[in-house]
Amino acid sequence: MTVGRRRAACALALTAWLLALGGCAGGRESGPVTLVFKYARILGNADPLPGLLREFEASHPGVRVKGEAMPWASDDQHQFYVINLEGRSPGFDVMMLDCIWVPEFARAGWLLDLTSRLQPDELAPYFPSAVASATYGGRVWALPWNFNVGLLYYRADLLARYGLRPPETYEELIEQVRRIRAGERDPALDGYVWQGKQYEGLVVNVLEAFWANGARLLGDDGTVFPEPARAADALRFLRGLIAAGVSPAWTTAADEELSRRAFGDGHAIFLRNWPYAMDLFQGQGSAVRGRVAFAPLPGRARGEPGVGSTGGAHLGVSSRSRHPDLALALVRHLTSERAQRAIALGAALSPTRQALYRDPDVVRDRPGMPRLQALALAGRPRPATPYYLLLSATVQPEFSAALVGVKPPERAIVDAGARLAYFLRAVR
Amino acid sequence: MTGREAAARRRALVCVAPTVLALGALTVYPGIWVLWLSLQQRIPIFDVSRFAGFENYGFLAVDPRFWSAARTTAVFTVGSVALEVILGVAAALAIHAQQRGRRVALSLLLLAWAMPAVVGAKLFEWLYHPAAGLVNVALGRHSINWLGDPGAALPAVIIADVWRTMPFVAILCYARLLAIPADVYEAAQVDGAGRLATLTRITLPLLGRILLLAVLFRTLDALRAFDIMFVLTGGGPAGTTETLTVYAYRALFQTLQLGFGSAVSVVVFALVMAVAWAYLRLLRAGTVAA
Repeated sequence: MTVGRRRAACALALTAWLLALGGCAGGRESGPVTLVFKYARILGNADPLPGLLREFEASHPGVRVKGEAMPWASDDQHQFYVINLEGRSPGFDVMMLDCIWVPEFARAGWLLDLTSRLQPDELAPYFPSAVASATYGGRVWALPWNFNVGLLYYRADLLARYGLRPPETYEELIEQVRRIRAGERDPALDGYVWQGKQYEGLVVNVLEAFWANGARLLGDDGTVFPEPARAADALRFLRGLIAAGVSPAWTTAADEELSRRAFGDGHAIFLRNWPYAMDLFQGQGSAVRGRVAFAPLPGRARGEPGVGSTGGAHLGVSSRSRHPDLALALVRHLTSERAQRAIALGAALSPTRQALYRDPDVVRDRPGMPRLQALALAGRPRPATPYYLLLSATVQPEFSAALVGVKPPERAIVDAGARLAYFLRAVR
Repeated sequence: MTGREAAARRRALVCVAPTVLALGALTVYPGIWVLWLSLQQRIPIFDVSRFAGFENYGFLAVDPRFWSAARTTAVFTVGSVALEVILGVAAALAIHAQQRGRRVALSLLLLAWAMPAVVGAKLFEWLYHPAAGLVNVALGRHSINWLGDPGAALPAVIIADVWRTMPFVAILCYARLLAIPADVYEAAQVDGAGRLATLTRITLPLLGRILLLAVLFRTLDALRAFDIMFVLTGGGPAGTTETLTVYAYRALFQTLQLGFGSAVSVVVFALVMAVAWAYLRLLRAGTVAA
């Protein structure tokens, strides 16, 4: 090698190094960029996500998207985020968020404020309640990705055999359980299964019972349990379901999957669960295939009509992302109608864009979609507050104590209220 | 003090220094930091940070959830360690008496011990499944609501923990049994000692020290138990399986109440230290007597 060539090589290397340095310092979109996307794996027959990420890379040359899977449980994901974001070392740009975290994360300054970057009517196609849960303090912090609402599944074949229509109140449901079980004489057939294990799902189920009974966990002015007598009555009612045998004793240890399997194996008449369960009931080899339908959750006689709790996931951009524009582009790509259609068809998740509930392709695959839209529109969110996890973690053991019968419901409400008052005083 | 002694002392200090520094950086510093945090009201994401004195401890003193967690921790520790010792010694004696297949028996024991706690807990989650679980199928369908009954959940968690950690005790004891010379037993036989007398007068006393050590390790572990109940029950139902460590975790990592959570951690730390100190005294007393 001659001296001249060596020099040229040195110069080239130096130039490359300087270019790389420039790319690090300020240049965006110039050098190769890696976006990190944190998400939880989607359950379903075909995971559409890898394909969607590759599509984004194809339309954005020089950008690589690294999808990093998180644990499946919402609580574990939350812990991952708070440790990484509080430690100021986030290694990610786009994050999948449980809708209940948005106020907390927004207040902590971990999310990029998307308000001024959005088109005027960009949020119009989404469910209003999904947009509401992505909004905090009048600003928008994320785009809705998938949507959940509590449903009452029932065994259509069993109800038809006894000439029954899906129950509108819990009192009716109890009566139907009695009639069907008396007629079927199957000791393995349980009545109504739902989620009573001490975890977030319990809070959702209790909130639905509260709402049907005209009670709330958090009032508009921030008071906890503004209707304590009605709240205690709702807890007593849930306890009564178990005590009377309408719901099996193991309800107090049941999460979504445990209850879903019992119903899916044909061992229950009614089930409270999320929309994802329908696809599994109608899948190949399901014991209840073609015999399941869903209805709105029941209300209470002389109470409010039933309403399902809403949930779901949003996509947000980390406020410390070095490529906020690209990250937002990825969020838009993944929440687009095309991407949500692919997810609705490939996985058991429900879209947040209303048009897809009447989309011919989607409806052919999932005939219940138009009805699901009506129920989703009627759904009610859990309290939107930055302290939601504190709220939930504090009330969980108290609700559980009332359900298993070791504490009178009134006492559970008083104790939960006192603890919450103490903790909330510290943060407000 | 002669010059040589002083030099030796200096050399000793130099040799000990790295350990002292490492311990200081990794244990003492974080320990003091946690102690300091526990005297504060600190919730970083809400910008709450103020000195609170003993407020957190004052709340703990009258906090029923804390006392319930303390009770659960105590019952869990005593229950699981006692069962582990009884079953562990029994298993060690059984393997020792066994003529064939010792290796297989030991490997099977080790398998349970080698399994990560979370995997073991998941296994038991299926065993305790209300309808399809092996335990209830064996007992007849829906017989016991293992993880949903406030009276059954803690015993269920203890059984799962005993299954996983009993092998630790068994293997330690088995190793000690192998070291007991055969002529001790021969002498006992000559003196006309029966099987029971041999067990209570010779085997168990000779196992004493290693058992005390095993109990020390297991007690310290059980006092800090977390993974098994976290996976199996999440602390429920009605908080009946929530140990102090689970309570601290909820405060520290789920709701980010760093001050309050640290106060719970400090209590766990004090508890572990007190128990360790008591056991070490017992061990030392044993050495002097022996």
